[in-house]
Amino acid sequence: MTSKKTRLPLSLLRPLAWAAAIAIHSASAQVPDAAASREDMVALGKRFDSAEALYQYLQQQAGGSTTLTWQTLPDWRGVYSMDFGQTGLAYDTSQAPGQLPPAKLIPEQQAILEERVRLAQQGIEFDPLGRCEPPGAARGVSEPFLREYAITPEQTWLMNEVAAETRRIYTDGRQHLAPDDRFPTFDGDSIGFWHEGRLVIHTNQLRAGMYQRSQPNYSDDIELVEIMQKADERTLISHVWAFDPQYLLEPWYTRKTYVKLTDPEKQLRIHYWYCFDNQNNDVQEQEDGSTQFKDFDFD
Amino acid sequence: MNRQFLLAAILLLSAPVFGHHSTAMFDANKTITVTGTVKEFQYSNPHSWLIVEVRSDDGSVVTWGFEAEGPTTLMRSGIRKSTLPAGTRLTITGHPMTDGRPAAAWVKAVLEDGSELNPRNGFVPR
Repeated sequence: MTSKKTRLPLSLLRPLAWAAAIAIHSASAQVPDAAASREDMVALGKRFDSAEALYQYLQQQAGGSTTLTWQTLPDWRGVYSMDFGQTGLAYDTSQAPGQLPPAKLIPEQQAILEERVRLAQQGIEFDPLGRCEPPGAARGVSEPFLREYAITPEQTWLMNEVAAETRRIYTDGRQHLAPDDRFPTFDGDSIGFWHEGRLVIHTNQLRAGMYQRSQPNYSDDIELVEIMQKADERTLISHVWAFDPQYLLEPWYTRKTYVKLTDPEKQLRIHYWYCFDNQNNDVQEQEDGSTQFKDFDFD
Repeated sequence: MNRQFLLAAILLLSAPVFGHHSTAMFDANKTITVTGTVKEFQYSNPHSWLIVEVRSDDGSVVTWGFEAEGPTTLMRSGIRKSTLPAGTRLTITGHPMTDGRPAAAWVKAVLEDGSELNPRNGFVPR
């Protein structure tokens, strides 16, 4: 039996192809992708007064979330680590070497930051992680150790080697807790949605902390919006906006790059991170604000 | 912002060891190098410690500790728990403690066969 194929004339195919291309481009432009420029993302953040408003805008732009199924999960398997290039542990990857973080802080917090950096130059510095506190969601984006991701249709888990921290991103359509029921936590409460391989996250309920050593503080009012997307097989890009009406004069944007590590022999494992397993890792804050090891045990 | 401030800030970005605590107790502007024998390799999170016995000219032994990152960073640097068994002879360089105690942030170790072990190599994504 033979089938007769219907062929469209070339004159009709070309406009159809262009229309399809334009439609694809428009759709992918609705929510910023991994290639979006820093300048555009900074400008996008400044258009909104709150993280919630930016998140709602992104939801509108997406025209609704993509419902993931077990067959359509993005492939974020593997072990990743931050590519910190020339900026070290700086929260903002646009921070120039030798310059202060470019956050637009209220004057009081700017003064605290400058004093923190000045004291650190003199060896006077204490990091709360020294007490084995977890970095939390805001600082966590700038930690240089290993990361893993677990995606299910209803939740995505962002796992960080530091302090064995796991952020749960609820993508099942639930909303945040009611305002009266919220309380500050290290990782906050994260809801999100998927759109064309991009995970869009809104996080509130965070507790005060600092973005990183020699970096600014943030208050209990900080909220984050993040867009995470694989740019290629080995690269995961994250756009992050911090909104902190107490300490920031405008949203603070940073772009993070995480690289999937090659581990052909499958040797890498994330182990539990407990600071007091080894007595030689026990540090204490001194009266002058510096850090010192408690007691060494080399015997 | 003055030039001295800029220089200091740059140095902060090149902290001796990444981990859970400030590295201000180490002097990033100084290095010490000793030759000795591995007593113990404490392969632990969030920091590992290489304990090295160093014999002085007068015959006395000083036990030094060299701090490095945790197991996953060491593993990525090619430094396994089994790489440095007790009794291994090496020459090791580090940033010393500012208070004079015999401890340092591990920068580089050279084994008798000439191979070098640098924990910070683990931070290069590959």
